[in-house]
Amino acid sequence: MKLITCVVRPDKLDAVTDALDKQHIVGMTVTDVRGFGRQKGQVEHYRGGEYTIRFIPKVKIDLVVQDGDTEAVIATISKVARTGNIGDGKIFVSEVQNAVRIRTGEKGTSAL
Amino acid sequence: MSTVLFEEPFATMPGSSPNNQPGQGDMKVISCIIRPEHLEAVKAALDQLQVVGGMTVTDVRGFGRQKGQVEHYRGSEYTIRFIAKVRVDVVVRTGDADRVVAAVSNAARTGRVGDGKIFVLDVRSAIRVRTGERGVIAL
Repeated sequence: MKLITCVVRPDKLDAVTDALDKQHIVGMTVTDVRGFGRQKGQVEHYRGGEYTIRFIPKVKIDLVVQDGDTEAVIATISKVARTGNIGDGKIFVSEVQNAVRIRTGEKGTSAL
Repeated sequence: MSTVLFEEPFATMPGSSPNNQPGQGDMKVISCIIRPEHLEAVKAALDQLQVVGGMTVTDVRGFGRQKGQVEHYRGSEYTIRFIAKVRVDVVVRTGDADRVVAAVSNAARTGRVGDGKIFVLDVRSAIRVRTGERGVIAL
């Protein structure tokens, strides 16, 4: 199983959820986060002066999927969340050792 | 005479112990998504185990297979897609992971849809920021 962690623009959340729903990926956890990448925030103007917003609001979407679904999910999210502008976000993949469905005690891929 | 069965390239990595197979570490992160009202019960259960050095709690929202829930308001239906949950992250020694999973499961279970999930992942390194200590002593 793989953990796919995506940091995306907040306004892309619904589009990403709908696209994953069509792929029958069920289950995700969403966290409100803030962050920046190489551009280190953005410069805004107010009353003639410049100021830098360092941390930009983003949404983090965590999903755990079977190994075989990983590439398809990454492709879907990339396509739907992309605008081509700086700030589109990133996707990270890590290995999950085990998963448990609390309600029933099921473990492994049947917990997903 | 000893037989070398596998390379030990990770033996000198911080946080690892000798005789570790590559990919297996000393520590696991146990990431639990639970109902917000179970936070106190889960915390109490973890305190009793005495293997947990601390925890990090995050407010999250999410859904599983049931894809949210249907609510009624003034005669019409609407779907709440993302349900408020709480994520509890604890990092423990690998040997304690199973007990922690069992304790959280028992404290957080109601038997109804929406109870949540627990994920167990490897932790490569742990560092205590204040002192720079690394490995299980940082937990």
